[in-house]
Amino acid sequence: MSVQTATSPTTRRFDPLACKDDLDAFRAEVRAWLEAVVPADWHARMTGASEADYVAFQRWWFAEMGKVGLATPHWPRDWGGADIGIRHQVIIFEEIARAQAPNPDMFVISLYHLPATLFGNGSKAQRDRYLTGVKERGEVWCQGFSEPGSGSDLASLRTRAERKGDVYVINGQKVWSSYGAFADYCLLLARTDPTAPKKQAGISYFILNMKAPGVTVRPIRQATGQAEFCEIFLDNVEIPVADLIGEENAGWAIAQSTLSAERGLIIFELSERMARTLDADLAEAKRTDAAWLKDDEARRAFTRAYNDMVALRLMIRALMQEIETDPHMGSTTMPTYIKVHFSELLRRYTEFRLKLGGLAGQLRQPIVLGGGHQTGNVMHDFLLSYAWTISGGANEILKTMIAERALGLPR
Amino acid sequence: MSDGHSDGMDLEALRDGVRAVLTEQASHEKVAAFTNAEGVRDEPLWSQAAELGWLALSADEAHGGLGLGSSELAIVYEELGRALAPLPVLGTMLVVEALARGGDAAQQAAWTPRLAAGELAGAVSMLTPGDRTTRLTLSAGADGGVTLDGVAADLLDGAAADILLLLAREGEGLSWVLVEPALDGVVVEKVATVDRTRRLGEVRFDRLALPAGRVLMGDAGQIADALLAHAALALASDARGGANAVFEITLDYLKTREQFGKPIGSFQALKHRCADHKIALVASGALVAEAVARMASGDPAAGRYALAAKALATEVYARVAQDAVQLHGGIGYTWEHPCHLYLKRAKLNEQLFGGPAAYLDRVTDLLLAAA
Ligand SMILES: Cc1cc2nc3c(=O)[nH]c(=O)nc-3n(C[C@H](O)[C@H](O)[C@H](O)COP(=O)(O)OP(=O)(O)OC[C@H]3O[C@@H](n4cnc5c(N)ncnc54)[C@H](O)[C@@H]3O)c2cc1C
Repeated sequence: MSVQTATSPTTRRFDPLACKDDLDAFRAEVRAWLEAVVPADWHARMTGASEADYVAFQRWWFAEMGKVGLATPHWPRDWGGADIGIRHQVIIFEEIARAQAPNPDMFVISLYHLPATLFGNGSKAQRDRYLTGVKERGEVWCQGFSEPGSGSDLASLRTRAERKGDVYVINGQKVWSSYGAFADYCLLLARTDPTAPKKQAGISYFILNMKAPGVTVRPIRQATGQAEFCEIFLDNVEIPVADLIGEENAGWAIAQSTLSAERGLIIFELSERMARTLDADLAEAKRTDAAWLKDDEARRAFTRAYNDMVALRLMIRALMQEIETDPHMGSTTMPTYIKVHFSELLRRYTEFRLKLGGLAGQLRQPIVLGGGHQTGNVMHDFLLSYAWTISGGANEILKTMIAERALGLPR
Repeated sequence: MSDGHSDGMDLEALRDGVRAVLTEQASHEKVAAFTNAEGVRDEPLWSQAAELGWLALSADEAHGGLGLGSSELAIVYEELGRALAPLPVLGTMLVVEALARGGDAAQQAAWTPRLAAGELAGAVSMLTPGDRTTRLTLSAGADGGVTLDGVAADLLDGAAADILLLLAREGEGLSWVLVEPALDGVVVEKVATVDRTRRLGEVRFDRLALPAGRVLMGDAGQIADALLAHAALALASDARGGANAVFEITLDYLKTREQFGKPIGSFQALKHRCADHKIALVASGALVAEAVARMASGDPAAGRYALAAKALATEVYARVAQDAVQLHGGIGYTWEHPCHLYLKRAKLNEQLFGGPAAYLDRVTDLLLAAA
C-alpha cells in the first residue's frame, strides 16, 4: 500500500538498544527513530482505508519496529527480546504515544499473550519456533477461548480434542476471535477430558495452525462496522502432539497467565496513549478557546478523568515494578484492577468527548484504522470502549473475581 | 508540606509505631467517648503524640524538630485518619510550615520549638483553591505595632488552638499574622461540626493591638499556596487512611453477617460494589502517594498533584463511607457503630479547605496553564 512507500528513505541507522545504558540517550534515539520512520500523514492516509491497506500497514509498522528491536523489547533476552527494564519500557511507550505512532494492534496476541503463555509452560522447541516466528516473520496470532455457549463461563467450553496417535483431533467452534481472519496461529483451548469431575480440569491448551485442513474462519461485523473478530469452525482439525502447551488437562491454569497478560501489560501502552490524548485534547481546547472550557460541569468531568488517568499510569508503574521483582506475577491482583479501571475510564472519557461532539459527533465519518482509541470519530471511539469492558473477561466477572480472591468475600 | 530531607527514616516502622499507639489510645471506644463528651481535643492523646515526637516531625532541627518531610507527615495524617483521632495536628503543622517559610529567626525561635513540643496547638485561616479573600484587616498601630480588625471564621481546630495564624488584608496586599487567643480581648468561639472528632473556631477582633513581630515577613501568597498544598495532602492522606479503615470494617461485616442462610458478602450485588470501592481505593491511593513523593522531592508540579489528590481521595472516601453505612444495614445507622464517624469525617474532609469542585477547577486551571 501507499503509506510505507511514502516514507522517505532514511540514511541513518537507528539503534536505541545500543544506548540503553544511558536513559537520556535511549530516549533521544527512540524519538529520533520515530521522527524518521512514522509517516507524518499516516492518519490521513489510513482514514477510511480498506482492510487490506490496514493489514499491510500493520505489517509494515511491525517490521519497522522489529528492525530496531522495539517490537519485542519486553521479551527476555534468550527468547529474542532485549530484556530491558521498566524505565526503558516507560520511555518507549511515552515516545510512541508522543509521536502518535500507529497501534500495532493486530499483533497484540503475538506480542503479549503468546509469550505470557509460553513463559512458564511452553517447551523450548515451542518457544524457539513460535517466538522466532513472531519476531522474524511477523506471524499473527489469535486467541480461541470463547465459544458460542462459553463466554464468561469459559470453563464450560465444549470444543473437543481427542488424542489419536501423534495428533489431537479437534472438533467444535470458537467465536469472537480478534484478528482471526489474518492469523497464522491460534492459542486454542479445547476439552480433552469430558468426564473430569471439575470442568476446569478437563481442558488442554494447544497451538492451532490456522492454515490446517478443517479450519474455517468467518468474520463477524461489529457494532463499529468493522469486522475485527471472527468465528472459527473446527472440523476434524489435526494438531500435532508437539503443539500441546504444558500437560494434557492442565490448560486452565495456563490460560490464566494468558489472561493476566491481557489485563495488565497491554494496557501500559494504551495508558500512555490515553495520557497523550487527554493532554492533546486540553491543548486543543486551549488553542481554540473551546466552549466547554467555560462549562463548569464539562471542565470538572474532564479533570476527574484526567486525575483517573494519572492514577491509571501510576497503577501501571506499580505493576511494572511488581513484574520486575517477580516476572511470573502469580498472585498479583493489580492487572485486574488496572483493566477495570482503564476500561471504565475509557468509557467515561469517550462518552465525554461524544457529548462535546454534539450532533456532529453522530455523523458517520471515516475512521483512522490503527488509531487506537482516538480514531477521529468520537462515536466510534465510544463504541470501541466496549471492547475493553467486555473482552478479556467482562468487568462483572472481574469484579466477582476481585471480591472473592482479593477481598476474600465468600462465594 | 515542606520539602523533606529525610532519607533515614524507615517509613513502615513509623507507620507501625503510630498505628500501634492509635489502636490503643484512639480505639473506636475512646473516640466515641471523646465525641460524646464534646471536648475540643483529646488531651491524653495529644500529650502522647507530643511525647512521641509526631508534632516535631517536620520542624527544623535547629528549632527542636526532626527535620523530616512530607513522606513522614503523610503517614501520620493517614494513620490519624484511619483512627479518626481527635487531634489538631493539621493546624499545628500548618503553623510550623508557615513559620519555616515566612518567619524570621526570632519568630521561628519563639514559636516553632513550642509547637514541635506540643506545648502549643495551632490553627490557620481556612484557605480554598483560587480564593484569597479574608475578612480581617491589618493596619499600622501604636508604637510601631499593628492593629487587627474583623472576623476569622472556619478555623479548623481553632477552638483547640493556642496560637492562630491568620490571613489578613493589609492595604492592597495580604499578610499572615500570629495571634494568641490567650490575649486580652480575644475569644475563640467553638463552632460545632457534625463530625465531632474535629471543631471549627471563629474569632472576632476589634482593633486588637499586636507587636509588629507578629507579622510574617515572607510572601503571603506563596505561604498561602504552600499551606493549601500541605492541607490538601494532609486531608487526602486522612481520607486514604479513613477510607481503607471503614472499607476493612465493612468487608469483615460482609463476611460474617448472615441472611438467607449465607454470608451477605456472597451476594454479587454487594461484591461488585466492594470491587468498585477497592479499585477506587487503589487508584486514589496511588495518586496520593505520588503527590506525597513529588512534594517530598520538591517537584514543581507537586502542588497540582496535591490538589488533584485531595479532590480524588476525599470523594472516594465519601463514597466508600456512604456505602459502608448502607452495607451495614440498621447497625450501620446507629450511634454506637463507628460507621457514622467515618461518614461524617469523610463529608467534612470533602469541604475542608474547599470542596471538590473548587479543587477540580483549580487543577483544570493549572493543567490549562501548563498545556
Ligand atoms: C472486542 C472483543 C474482542 C474479543 N476478542 C476475543 C478473542 O480474541 N478471543 C476470545 O476467545 N474471545 C474474545 N472475546 C470474547 C470475550 O472474551 C467474551 O465476549 C467475554 O468473555 C464475555 O462473554 P460473552 O460475550 O459470552 O458474554 P456472556 O458471558 O454471555 O455475558 C453477558 C453479560 O452477562 C454478564 N455475566 C455473565 N455471567 C455473569 C456472572 N456470573 N455474574 C455477573 N454477570 C455475569 C457479563 O458480564 C455480561 O455483561 C472478545 C470480545 C470482544 C467484545
